[in-house]
Amino acid sequence: MSLYDIIINRIKKVQGKDEENEPVTSIEASSTLAAEITLLSSLLVAVIMLRFFSNALMIVAIILVIAIAIFAMPIMPRLKREQNDSLNGMIFYVILALGIIAVLFYWGNLNV
Amino acid sequence: MNPLIPIMVILPIACALLLNLFHTKERTVKILAIIVAIALPIIPLIANYGLHYFGGYAPLAQNPTIAQGLPSFITSSALNIFHPAITYSFESAQRLFIFILGLIAFLAILTSLSETKKASGVYAFLMFMGVAAVTAILLTDDIFNLYVFFEIAAITQVGIIIASKIKGNYETALKYMILGSIASPLLLLGIALLLGITGNVNITDIVYSIKNGLVNPQNPVLLTACGLIIFGWLYGSGLPPFHTIKSAVYSKALPHGAALLQAFSVFTLVALGIIIFRIFSYLPFAKVFIIAISLAAMILSITMALMQTDVKRIIGYLAVGELGYIGLGLGIGTAFSITAGLFQAVNEAIITAFLFIGFGTIIYKTRESDIRKMGGMMIETPKAALLVFLAGLAMAGVPPLNAFQSKLMLIQSSLNAGIPELGVIMILMSIVTFMTFMKAFYAVYMRPKPRDLEIKNEKIPKATLFSMIVFLIVCIILGLFPQVATNFLQGLANSLIV
Amino acid sequence: MVIDTQIASFFTAGSLIIIGIFAALFIDNLIKKVIGLAFIADGVNLFIITMGYKAGGIVYIFLPGMTINQFAPNASYPLPFALVLTSIVIGASTLAVMLGLIIVLYKKHGSIKASKILGE
Repeated sequence: MSLYDIIINRIKKVQGKDEENEPVTSIEASSTLAAEITLLSSLLVAVIMLRFFSNALMIVAIILVIAIAIFAMPIMPRLKREQNDSLNGMIFYVILALGIIAVLFYWGNLNV
Repeated sequence: MNPLIPIMVILPIACALLLNLFHTKERTVKILAIIVAIALPIIPLIANYGLHYFGGYAPLAQNPTIAQGLPSFITSSALNIFHPAITYSFESAQRLFIFILGLIAFLAILTSLSETKKASGVYAFLMFMGVAAVTAILLTDDIFNLYVFFEIAAITQVGIIIASKIKGNYETALKYMILGSIASPLLLLGIALLLGITGNVNITDIVYSIKNGLVNPQNPVLLTACGLIIFGWLYGSGLPPFHTIKSAVYSKALPHGAALLQAFSVFTLVALGIIIFRIFSYLPFAKVFIIAISLAAMILSITMALMQTDVKRIIGYLAVGELGYIGLGLGIGTAFSITAGLFQAVNEAIITAFLFIGFGTIIYKTRESDIRKMGGMMIETPKAALLVFLAGLAMAGVPPLNAFQSKLMLIQSSLNAGIPELGVIMILMSIVTFMTFMKAFYAVYMRPKPRDLEIKNEKIPKATLFSMIVFLIVCIILGLFPQVATNFLQGLANSLIV
Repeated sequence: MVIDTQIASFFTAGSLIIIGIFAALFIDNLIKKVIGLAFIADGVNLFIITMGYKAGGIVYIFLPGMTINQFAPNASYPLPFALVLTSIVIGASTLAVMLGLIIVLYKKHGSIKASKILGE
């Protein structure tokens, strides 16, 4: 498969467009709900901390987080599927984190 | 010179090599392992504070006999106070950390010798080498020596996973090694950049060079070194993006092995975190980044813990999530918050070891670790159930147990520093942690037993119950008298802020 | 165009590290992945050695008959070689453990593709 097909399939998988339906127990459903609420509330409170950099950025970020949360509501199943145990997924996130760290520390130090 | 300081590292290494030699002779292995494991927490209590120089000599300023024959362009420059040896420094904070590490190691080794049928010399070798490596990481003042022992600790952790005979352990071990082989050379690259800029691998001398203007503190090479060393720190401690592999590692090891592995991760986080703070705390961005990654650790891990069905994975993700509290303490950067963060590290190591050994009793009796298939264990093991419940209360931060004191100190320090959002998130995550633990506790102990669950008739070994009671006593003592621990930590916290 | 030896060596070390990261990320065969990881370690070791280079420097052994004023400004930097020796040994032992694990996994699964053995 070409690289383009691999990328498109991956994005479709994350968006959940090719899900299988499996039976869900009530304990799983309540855990997912609790995790969803925890994730959204802690993300919103964390975004408020941007007030130290600029108030306008904080307001934009809060509106963005609320909008994304409403449009992409069941975030937890996708997050759980992304954080699976496959080596390729883990290496991808490790190299992504390395890239973000290298960029932020080399150039991001100027304004803080 | 204080001979007990190198003994703290050399004794476990020597014992490990001897145990590997006597691998098939069970009685010798058991006796030697127990004797050295008892010595491990006792030596830091009787050693005196001080420095130890391996393979070199004291700085020239304190060594007039060698300094006599040297030309003045050496003795009148900063070289006069630089350390030409691998320096191990043993102060009050190290005493507390090495004592707690030794206590957890003693109880883990005791539990392993009593729960497995044949005492394995090779397994005990791996545990002792790991303890020696993490003790050296805590003691050392030389950043390359830290990298060497960091790698030794990684290989012994892989060995502990491989020895467990749990399904899927070889795959997890290989994944951990592959990720480690990306992260560790990059940590070494960061150390190499520090060496190139400052000309030193001794941390005290690096801090002196940066503070006194011998190098430019805003040099981009220094900033890149900071980023790479932080990346290596993320790998060693299990912060994101390495949180999934760390929790997988905890779930594929035997429970007492997992208790020891999480202690290794916590103390590696503490040691490397203190070093990063010492060298790079003048960069406000480093502290912001540590706060951000600790928040990510808490949020990602604790939400993942809620969605798991394997009891070891649940405790593994909770263990990784609690590391976020320690990182927040270091990131906020005031003396009070650093004391609180380090106290939280000590409490976390004890409580998570307690939880792993506690839930390990279930796995010992039922050979099952999926919570969907378990139930009714309260009738079979009422004493263990009570102890596990107290461990869960401890992890959530219920008074009078220890995590209450450290989490309260962390929340107060975040309020004092003017960042109340962190306090709110910490309280929220504690509530969710307790909810996750109660879900696991209910599923394992309180609901009726499913018909096809087979329970072995053997009683839980006395050594396991003894370990859990010792952990509970330490939790209660630290919960009622937190000064016992924070007195040791305040000296370090004050010296970091100056 | 003559490039300075040290700069050329830094470039080689950097490209070794990047090739290694590429191999670890994209190649499916486990043995080739592990070779890539060995490249990363080799690149970092070469980087450390290159830092000790001094144009026209003498070997850092203080022979009898030399004076301090002859030795100190001219000797190349001795610390990197000690660090790299230890680092090479660490890399070799990690490589040995990884290859041993790959042998066991190959016997168990019959394949050496990372997506089959280590994927989901």
